[in-house]
Amino acid sequence: MEPKRHITVIETASILVSTIIGVGVLPLPLFAVNAGDSGAPLITFVAVLFATVGVVLIAVLGMRFPEQTIVQYGETIIGKWPGRLGSLLVIGFFAVLTSLTAREFGEVVVTAVLKKTPVEVTVIVMLLLAALSVRNNLTTFSYIHYFYFPLLLFPALFIVALSLKNADVQNILPIWGNRPVGVTRGIITITALFQGSFILTSVIPHMRRPEYAMRASMVGMLVAGGLYVIIVAATVSVFGAEETKKLLWPTLELAKATSLPANVLERLDAAFLAVWVTAVFTTLLSSYFLTIQSASQLLKLKDHRMFSFFLLPFVFVMAMQPQNIVQMYQIIELVGRIGLFITIAYPAMLLVVSILRKKRGERVDDRSNP
Amino acid sequence: MTTDRILKLGRRLIVASFFVIALTGCWDRLEIEERAVVLGVSIDTASPEAEAEEDEVSHLQGSQPVPSKDMVRVAVQIALPGRIPLGPGESGGGGKGSAGQTVWVVDVVGHSVDDAIMNLQQQISSRLFFGHLRVIVVSEQLAKKGLENVNDYFRRNSEVRRMAWMMVSKGSAKDLMVAAPKLERVPTLYLMSTLDEGIRMGKFPKDYIGIFWSNSSKKGQEGFLPYVEIKKEQNVEVKGLAFFRGSKMVGKSNPLQIAGYLGVKGINPAGYRVFVKLDGAPSTVMTAAAHRSSKIGLRIRNGIPVFSIQIAIDVNLEEKMGDKIHINDPKTLRRIELLQEEGSDKSYKDFLEMTQKLGSDIFGFGEIVRSKQPAFWNRHVKSKERWQEMYKEVEFEVSTSIKIRRIGMKGK
Repeated sequence: MEPKRHITVIETASILVSTIIGVGVLPLPLFAVNAGDSGAPLITFVAVLFATVGVVLIAVLGMRFPEQTIVQYGETIIGKWPGRLGSLLVIGFFAVLTSLTAREFGEVVVTAVLKKTPVEVTVIVMLLLAALSVRNNLTTFSYIHYFYFPLLLFPALFIVALSLKNADVQNILPIWGNRPVGVTRGIITITALFQGSFILTSVIPHMRRPEYAMRASMVGMLVAGGLYVIIVAATVSVFGAEETKKLLWPTLELAKATSLPANVLERLDAAFLAVWVTAVFTTLLSSYFLTIQSASQLLKLKDHRMFSFFLLPFVFVMAMQPQNIVQMYQIIELVGRIGLFITIAYPAMLLVVSILRKKRGERVDDRSNP
Repeated sequence: MTTDRILKLGRRLIVASFFVIALTGCWDRLEIEERAVVLGVSIDTASPEAEAEEDEVSHLQGSQPVPSKDMVRVAVQIALPGRIPLGPGESGGGGKGSAGQTVWVVDVVGHSVDDAIMNLQQQISSRLFFGHLRVIVVSEQLAKKGLENVNDYFRRNSEVRRMAWMMVSKGSAKDLMVAAPKLERVPTLYLMSTLDEGIRMGKFPKDYIGIFWSNSSKKGQEGFLPYVEIKKEQNVEVKGLAFFRGSKMVGKSNPLQIAGYLGVKGINPAGYRVFVKLDGAPSTVMTAAAHRSSKIGLRIRNGIPVFSIQIAIDVNLEEKMGDKIHINDPKTLRRIELLQEEGSDKSYKDFLEMTQKLGSDIFGFGEIVRSKQPAFWNRHVKSKERWQEMYKEVEFEVSTSIKIRRIGMKGK
């Protein structure tokens, strides 16, 4: 497959945004208030900064090796076998992330909407949908994201804006929080929600102008991070920090407490869930794609499609491992923390080594050729 | 070729997955007539003897122990499909004033709310659906015992909306479910509109169940609920505010003190009327508040928060009792203003003092301390319990400014 270079900057940014916004938005305010009560928006903001560091590392690496993904340049930078080990970790981590995303999605749906539907069914439907969609090439992949991006961002902003009717600024004061406990933990957990941004490494080799990868990633982080901070600020200012701590999915509760003007719709949780299902799908699509594309590149296969259904049973079985919702969130937090080593520490290490060893990928010559 | 085979397999899987997607929708299919749509719920305490009424639905003697001897009586108002007119055009049966027409009221006892609901489900064929629950009434007796169980059950239930109303009834809560006020076809909608209209007329603050929950959770604030009573024409009177401390009701106010709350918070529109007595009964006038605004300042004096509350109210003169005074004189108006200011100052202070005695900070003064003076809060208060104690000692400086703006259509 000849890498065609025609993914634009805006498409890259939209891939980032719609990948990052996913299941995590529902428990996000809970993570944030548990760390810093009324300082929740600030905690989220700091987490966004940390996540941005990770994205910047990947973007810089991508710009050094504009023809390759992390699986390929990993081998160049730190040698064949260490590189392969690193790639294996990336593949394993994103497979786990995919399964946890699907499971979290299933739990929310079964708790909040389809109470009698077995969780296995909601999970497998979502995974099947992702498995089918990743069979497309990267161009179609980026179009899917580009298409859903506005459908995801604007309704979410709209719902948040409406909810501000019930907001009270006093609830998010003082902005640094009263008794912040476990700030570091909270920041790490929220930073982990941005790990989908790793998809950038697959996108850069197909960008029309890889040197703009940094610009795209900044725009993407600004939009996704901005939305996250806004959601946390809105939720906490509507409910207050203490009430938010009592809610499992504060963002969903926010939609539930929000009504359209003149009570056309008295609760927006159904509308919000519809948007959210799309958001989960795009997230799942990216992590699934990243997993199978990296796996096929590791094995030097030409086509990534082969893995799409091969991976499905493994991901599904992993998704079914957590025994209950409390355990699931413990696992998600743990996996997220471990994941930071893979999504931030590993690229950082690669970058340092590549600078020390003065390794560079080939430059892209024909930029005008679409 | 292998890729061919994979492609074929892929295609088959696509077809199979379509089946999966098409079939899944049916698990939660529930036709509207198969639902028992619950519009209102009332919760009373029940005597331990009520246990005799109950069958062992969610517990067994011995093996599944019951939590305690305290029982609750839960009554639900279920909408009857087809009986609720959908628009003004359908004039249905009308006339008869019983709740039996559009809704069905069933009551049951249980050891907890969920237990009672389960007992009820055992007696009702359709699945109980709480998505349209608008009003939850709890009796004063239950509220005084504590609403932990009630709050927990409804917070956990994903169908319940945060825009529903919760209210405390004087006497039996079930009476409000059975009552059938004539103004609305559906009794709970009447209950709801009593309060919703109250908000619009400036007679009641916004206090949906979600707001009550949020306020009770806050460290520097307590929740309150509307306190209602059923009157002889099956109409409902808003009798005041029921103060909570944590999830226990600790006291109640009278109706005019709701205006006290609204005034301190500066909530608009304003809608209460008061008498102002100028030299003796014959020259008493009545004024109606039109606009309120308030400013709350905070400073710390000798380790105690001092709140200065400045309330400004625009009023219109509505009524005069005798002919002795002429209100087309600015001096008279000024006198009325001053007299009312004096009276208001005192009533606000009394009201604040009353909540202080109960240790129930329904205004959220503690939240002001927490957000504006975090250093003081972190050092001296920290917890909700500590604030409940400290609230009894805080000081208030209230000053009211009344301005009469209009006197109606009469010149004198």
